[in-house]
Amino acid sequence: MASQRVLPQSKETLLQNYNKRLKDDIKSILDNFTEIIKTAKIEEETQVSRPTQAEQDHYEMHVRAANIVRAGESLMKLVSDLKQFLILNDFPSVNDAISLQNQQLRSLQDECDKKLTALRDEIAIDLYELEEEYYSSSYSLWDTSDVPLCEAFRRPDTWTSPDSSCSSPSEEREEVDGAPDSNPQHQLNGHSTASEKP
Amino acid sequence: MANERLRALEEVEKEIAMTLQCAGNIVLELSKDKHNASFLDRQLLQFQTSVNRVESELSGQIRYLTQVATGQPHEGSTYSARKDCQMALNRAEYAKVKLGELGRTCEVMLEQQQQQQPL
Repeated sequence: MASQRVLPQSKETLLQNYNKRLKDDIKSILDNFTEIIKTAKIEEETQVSRPTQAEQDHYEMHVRAANIVRAGESLMKLVSDLKQFLILNDFPSVNDAISLQNQQLRSLQDECDKKLTALRDEIAIDLYELEEEYYSSSYSLWDTSDVPLCEAFRRPDTWTSPDSSCSSPSEEREEVDGAPDSNPQHQLNGHSTASEKP
Repeated sequence: MANERLRALEEVEKEIAMTLQCAGNIVLELSKDKHNASFLDRQLLQFQTSVNRVESELSGQIRYLTQVATGQPHEGSTYSARKDCQMALNRAEYAKVKLGELGRTCEVMLEQQQQQQPL
């Protein structure tokens, strides 16, 4: 059994108010309904004349019925206040909702990035083949001293490690870009690192 | 969990309406010359059940809130995850735009080639 938390005065007062409203409204509904049923009972004639008594009973029933409806509406208002209080102050459920939302957003982000990475790999493979075709054709504008990527890949002496024949084109490009001083005489892919231009 | 409690409160609202409906049916039946006793009994039973259910459910909710409420504002947020996801979607959109441009460039080149070929 959880011990009573020490709430701020306003929150505790508010919850006590909710309890009081609940008890009062339920009591109002039950009492007024009971009195209506009692009033409906046919009684012996009293000193008051029959039309007067009927008028009085009619008015009393009218008021009690209105009290029942008022209590019902007050209960609806109480439910609305409780819903609002629950949304704002029910921390376990708010935490659950936040963690669920975070999980969904992260999974969407991961899926998006995974697909982009797969797309990048496919395009890198196609780009390698296209470059090979382009730089081996007569349309390319590179100098004879330029080494296209596919050619650089084939020449083992271009690389520091001759056995790196299985690396991907993007990795090769990154390796070459990262080591500009390894072969100062070769320019890659038509992009001259020297001052001369095609 | 939050949705269950909110749904329970919505059920309570329906119960309150049911309570008033039953009270009205009972008074309507009593106003007739000949009363249907079984109908009156059923309606009365339903009225009492609904009132008790409303009271117990609302008391339970208030008791739960008394245990759970701290009086402090909740400072949790999904902003960072939402921002990361938005950036990922922007990346995907940008890649889509660039691929679209590449595709259009290739189509233009092919059209030019086709135009030159008959000559």
